Amino acid sequence: MSEGLIASDAALDAEQREILEPLVDTIVPASEDGRMPSVRECDFPGFLARNAPDFLPELTGILADFDSGFTTQPARLRYERVKAFSERTPESFNRLLAQVYGCYYQDERVLAAIGLGAGAPFPRGNTLEPGDLSLLDPVLKNPGTWRRHVT
Amino acid sequence: MPVSANDPVDVLIVGAGASGAAVAWSLAETRMHIVCMEQGDWANPAEYPTNYPDWEQRLQGENSIDPNVRGRPSDYPVNNDDSPISVVNFNGVGGGTVMYAAHFPRLHPSDFRVRTLDGVADDWPVNYDRLEPYFAENDRMMGVSGLAGDPSYPPKQPPLPPLPLGRFGETLAGGFNRLGWHWWPSDSAIISRPYRGRDQCLNLGPCMSGCAQGAKSSTDITYWPEALRSGVELRTRCRVREITLNEAGMADGVIYYDPDGEERHQRAEVVVLACNGVGTPRILLNSKSSQFPDGLANRSGMVGRNLMFHPVGFVQGLFEERLDSHKGPLGCSLLSNQFYETDPDRDFVRGYMMQGVRGGAGPWNTAMQGAASGRIPWGPGHHEAFRRHFDHTATIGVLCEDLPEAHNTVTLDPELADSDGIPAPKITYRLSGNTSRMLEHGLAHAREVMETAGAVEVVSVGPAREAGWHLLGTARMGRDPERSVVNPWGRSHDVRNLFIVDGSIFVTAGAVNPTSTIQALALYIADTMKKNLANLFD
Ligand SMILES: Cc1cc2nc3c(=O)[nH]c(=O)nc-3n(C[C@H](O)[C@H](O)[C@H](O)COP(=O)(O)OP(=O)(O)OC[C@H]3O[C@@H](n4cnc5c(N)ncnc54)[C@H](O)[C@@H]3O)c2cc1C
Repeated sequence: MSEGLIASDAALDAEQREILEPLVDTIVPASEDGRMPSVRECDFPGFLARNAPDFLPELTGILADFDSGFTTQPARLRYERVKAFSERTPESFNRLLAQVYGCYYQDERVLAAIGLGAGAPFPRGNTLEPGDLSLLDPVLKNPGTWRRHVT
Repeated sequence: MPVSANDPVDVLIVGAGASGAAVAWSLAETRMHIVCMEQGDWANPAEYPTNYPDWEQRLQGENSIDPNVRGRPSDYPVNNDDSPISVVNFNGVGGGTVMYAAHFPRLHPSDFRVRTLDGVADDWPVNYDRLEPYFAENDRMMGVSGLAGDPSYPPKQPPLPPLPLGRFGETLAGGFNRLGWHWWPSDSAIISRPYRGRDQCLNLGPCMSGCAQGAKSSTDITYWPEALRSGVELRTRCRVREITLNEAGMADGVIYYDPDGEERHQRAEVVVLACNGVGTPRILLNSKSSQFPDGLANRSGMVGRNLMFHPVGFVQGLFEERLDSHKGPLGCSLLSNQFYETDPDRDFVRGYMMQGVRGGAGPWNTAMQGAASGRIPWGPGHHEAFRRHFDHTATIGVLCEDLPEAHNTVTLDPELADSDGIPAPKITYRLSGNTSRMLEHGLAHAREVMETAGAVEVVSVGPAREAGWHLLGTARMGRDPERSVVNPWGRSHDVRNLFIVDGSIFVTAGAVNPTSTIQALALYIADTMKKNLANLFD
């Protein structure tokens, strides 16, 4: 188990932490081309402690659904089990998904890999290409049936 | 217990939103004692979501556009159970403009003449030409970016150059051009260059969460600073419950709750309502007396009737190329008026506008929406699907004209109330057959644009539920006191020192976002009041 995952997690016990890592890894695994990390590398427990401590009791309940055998199962079987869980308790799974994606899509490496800057959008901002206004030529050439001339 | 009374004022404006701010600024030059009461507070731009890395999650909850979800002390609940479209708003200084997308087209000349042209609804008692100078003045005051020369309008000159089209806009423009259809860069109440002490747009994206840069022209940073410097007094966290009458049947003030929740009476020579198409009928209906048993200024029975929303549908296309579509500004890029005017060959009267929509959906939202629609799975395949979708989508909003129908109403809910115990508004609304057919036509034609522009997948939804942005028609203007609530310059037919300046006075809705026209009307009414000060109540 990575140091990062357990370092900032006081609320989960060792067994829960051991289940959490493959669980979130099943939801967002690393990409095959190696460009995208797995969420397990993004300090999910630390994210929860900072951003959503209220979710911890629910997470504890979710983890109880997965026994320790889960950690040693091959990825395909783990996926089947998480899928079965998501179908059985879709609302709870959606809340987990919102947190997992919340953590993942704020991680600097992830944002850089999808071409975004890290941190708050303001004051960094974004650059947009101005666009080619000569594209309006056909509109201007059209005699203009678009306006009803009334006063 | 007797209600505490304040010293009387000359003009009392209720509501500090789009229209309240404009009317306060315009009347300020009279040097009358003008007070505006606003139930909400000043917004703090340093707290807007885009100041935080988790800005996407912050768009939910207390920053939601839905007052029932937001649930701030300044909000009042709205019962939307009997409507397919629910009311969204913002209650605070700036009103809806704090959260609006700032798409800023004007109503078209034909919109003021629908009875004459199409035999439906009613003509307005004012026309485009009459309002034109006020449109232009409002554009300067708000700070509007756009491009002159749109052949679907009479000539107009926005004070600032247009916002960038970006790849997104160019792609959609290509689709419109191949079809030979109209499109034009949108007039936008977002500044594309530094303007009057404000800095230009940074393309942050989610304009509807408040603009941290201050580039979006909300009235808390446009009209209000100038109105305050000119001597208008703005009292926040003051919620008006009802308008009071004297024996002569004139309004003599309002009963309101002050920031400590204490009930007070504010006397005034003139009362101006600017609470929007839901808030204004709510106050009038709650102001019952022996003279007005059905609500103040309601001898016509039209208060709270003819609610119009602009039902909206969305068509989203997925493209192979990146479109920069997560970048802002959200609702302001281009529009098409191709299907705006009535065409006798169609199975509906009047028409709709198509509006390019980008921004807003950052990575978290993209992943969550993709999970909900099944288009971006979690687990294996997530990255590949995410890469195909994120920044590769374009959306067109189809905004339909809603005709006034008496059975679409704002009434007082018998049970639901706000934190001061004032009855909450209840919305009763049905989509008409005409609007449904129009929406179907719009969704099909927006799909055609997407496909022609090169979309590889297209999905559409409509009418969208959380889309009651435009609140119009519930205290309409007209010449006939039997069929309208206010006269051609916003004065109540029944109570001659009561004026209404917000979206509720619209006679018809047109098919454009209404705020530019709401504010032009407010400036026009204020100007007419100034010209008639000596005989305002005759
Ligand atoms: C999310 C969103 C997006 C939008 N996008 C666009 C857009 O792109 N373009 C566009 O043209 N329009 C848009 N709109 C609509 C626009 O905001 C409104 O048309 C406009 O603000 C209406 O102006 P108004 O003066 O009628 O009312 P508002 O601006 O709503 O102001 C009414 C004010 O009255 C106050 N008030 C109400 N009742 C009381 C009371 N009892 N006592 C004291 N104060 C009270 C409210 O708190 C509020 O501040 C959008 C709105 C929303 C919510």
